[in-house]
Amino acid sequence: MRHIISILVVNEFGALGRIAGLFTARGYNIESLTVAPTDDATLSRMTLVTIGDDQIIEQIIKQLNKLLDVVKVLDITEAEHIEREMMLVKVQAATNDAREEFKRLTDIFRGRVLDVTEKTYTIELTGTSSKLDAFLEVIGRKTPVEVVRSGVIGIARGDRQMRI
Amino acid sequence: MTEQAPRIPHSTQHPLAGEQMSGAEMVVQVLADEGVDTVFGYSGGAILPTYDAVFRYNERQRGDTGGAPMNLVVPANEQGAGFMAAGYARSTGRVGVFLVTSGPGATNTVTPIRDCMADSVPVVAITGQVARGAMGTDAFQEAPIVNIMGNCAKHVFLVTNPEDVEATMRTAFEVARSGRPGPVVVDLPKDVQNWVGEFHGEGLLDVRGYRQRMESLRQAKLSERKCRQFFDLLGQSSRPLLYVGGGVVSGDAGDDLTAFAKAYGIPVVTTVMGLGAIDTTDDLCLHMLGMHGTAYANYAVEDCDFIIAVGARFDDRVAAKAELFAPMAEHVAHIDIDAAEIGKVKLVDWAHVGDAGRSLRQLVEFGRSEGFRRDFTPWLEHVRGLRGSYPMNFDRETPLIQPQEVLERLNTLTRGEAVIATGVGQHQMFAAQYLDFHRPRQWLTSGSMGTMGFGLPAAIGAQFANPDALVIDVDGDGSIRMNLGEMETVTTYGLPVKVLLLNNSCDGMVRQWQRLYFEDRFSGSDKSLHRKDFIKAAESDGFEFARRVTDKAELGEALKAFVGFEGPAFLEVVIDPDAGVYPMVGPGMSYREMVTGDHIPSRDYGDSRDGPERLAPSEAF
Repeated sequence: MRHIISILVVNEFGALGRIAGLFTARGYNIESLTVAPTDDATLSRMTLVTIGDDQIIEQIIKQLNKLLDVVKVLDITEAEHIEREMMLVKVQAATNDAREEFKRLTDIFRGRVLDVTEKTYTIELTGTSSKLDAFLEVIGRKTPVEVVRSGVIGIARGDRQMRI
Repeated sequence: MTEQAPRIPHSTQHPLAGEQMSGAEMVVQVLADEGVDTVFGYSGGAILPTYDAVFRYNERQRGDTGGAPMNLVVPANEQGAGFMAAGYARSTGRVGVFLVTSGPGATNTVTPIRDCMADSVPVVAITGQVARGAMGTDAFQEAPIVNIMGNCAKHVFLVTNPEDVEATMRTAFEVARSGRPGPVVVDLPKDVQNWVGEFHGEGLLDVRGYRQRMESLRQAKLSERKCRQFFDLLGQSSRPLLYVGGGVVSGDAGDDLTAFAKAYGIPVVTTVMGLGAIDTTDDLCLHMLGMHGTAYANYAVEDCDFIIAVGARFDDRVAAKAELFAPMAEHVAHIDIDAAEIGKVKLVDWAHVGDAGRSLRQLVEFGRSEGFRRDFTPWLEHVRGLRGSYPMNFDRETPLIQPQEVLERLNTLTRGEAVIATGVGQHQMFAAQYLDFHRPRQWLTSGSMGTMGFGLPAAIGAQFANPDALVIDVDGDGSIRMNLGEMETVTTYGLPVKVLLLNNSCDGMVRQWQRLYFEDRFSGSDKSLHRKDFIKAAESDGFEFARRVTDKAELGEALKAFVGFEGPAFLEVVIDPDAGVYPMVGPGMSYREMVTGDHIPSRDYGDSRDGPERLAPSEAF
């Protein structure tokens, strides 16, 4: 099962390394990992996507809870939640056909063309990871020049909050 | 977990508060405030300011106040310092401290740090670091300690802001001893040691998440409902068994465990780390379980219908295959201070995360208030029968000296009162099997990491912490070589440490496995051509008592003289290289497949018990 785990960590030297190290040492997999400061300057929020059965996820959360830098851990996939990922895709768009096709696809996926040159489009797309996957699959025939994905961020739906 | 020193109450100001001090002086002052009386370590460039501060602290203590100085114990190798601090901590429950320089000094302590982590031993390691400005430049004696130790220690602090020095040091002690104890490293850049600022005498780092979790752990009480559920399970059981690990020792819960066991007459098996949690000579104690546990302990595990695990973690030397462990147990209860151990290996019916002693006391109180009664006498008779039918034994006829006999005789002499440290291998298992321990913290062994070379420095550290105790390092010829430099440390400090070397001219445990699984190909484990004369080595290190025994007839007298010798003593006993450790539950096997060897009777299960040979070498570990 795919789980999205949110982790509030203290902005300390080596915190990211320790969390990554835990995953390597115990052989847990990391599908994606994002880190950025929060509204509280002393804290960062990490969003980690991992795959594992219930027992592994339970261990991951328990092991994370043992780290000093970790303030709070929450598996946001255990309840209703919202997840988003952003992707930038650069594609070959040198012909009229290609330009039309990419514009149309971008519209269908509610994306935006951010940058245009004579030969390329750079498209921005936001959504769930599976939506981004779907887009890549659709343009697969016209292999993208470059793809960059932000990794997933997520938040619980409704009144549920991740509080300290 | 044991409070080391009376903490200075927040209302009274530290007598030195407001004084200008260097970072190094603050480090030493916090050590003193924490009640540290002995620091193990080796100096070097990046830690010089702190060594100097220790020197000056001691000079001041001797001069003005006449206070106790801080012992500085210098090993031959930093690894020795780490294990000395570990021996100090394991034998007392207080936080052990070691102080080493940057780069190689620090990396030499990676093994003891990991060892302390694996066995939950509270130590604080202070490692010098190159000055902040030089970090990351591949400076002389620079190593990325945060990265290296981050994967081994409970936590690593790198002091980047000198204002945080004293708070970091205090927090290091708090973290080392709270919850599940463990090693904490403080990486201290040289310029931070030289920085001068105001000493506050109080304050901790903001580790809010951790502190919150520790607080709720301290608050964790068994609810009435949980207590009732536990006694429901116990009430349904007719063959309960306590499976006790190192958590009971490190949680100082030995008395509570014993009281619990006695309250209901429940027999106890202990892990290698749990030896001494209950007096091993107690009628309820079945000694050690597991790969090399006693046959009667392992049979009791096979027969029990309710496992009550306390401070134990079902590791692979106990439960190689979790589903085959205690196959008749209808219920498993688990008490541990570390939530991550609950359900990690074995699914349990009843679990409580909290302090072992407190939990056991609560259960006893609840049982008493509810008037819980259940007669486990038939079961107790059964396990007594197991002890009678499958006792430990070995080849008593051969003229070759058997290691078991050496330890049996040692046990008669020490009567379970000695503090025993060991290396790792056959001698360690023989010592675990044949020695008695009346109390926790008498048995110091590298259980989880299995670090050869642990014994001698651990014995040194324990002797410093317990100057009046009889401290014996039971060692093997392979293990002792690993830290042989510390022989000199024993005599330098005039410690009455006794070193009992069981010499079989090989790495015995490796050899045993090579016999079992690798068709007698003794690759890399044979030492019969090694030319070390251990007696000469001991003599050259200043041991006045250094004897070798090769004749069985001499053994009793030699051991007596050895144990009775006043100062440091070294006794080498040349033993049968083919003595194997039995019983043995092969790796990946169930207890049903236990092999008891030629001298211990075993159960006939009447099915294909074809021994450990069945496992492919690649599966065995």
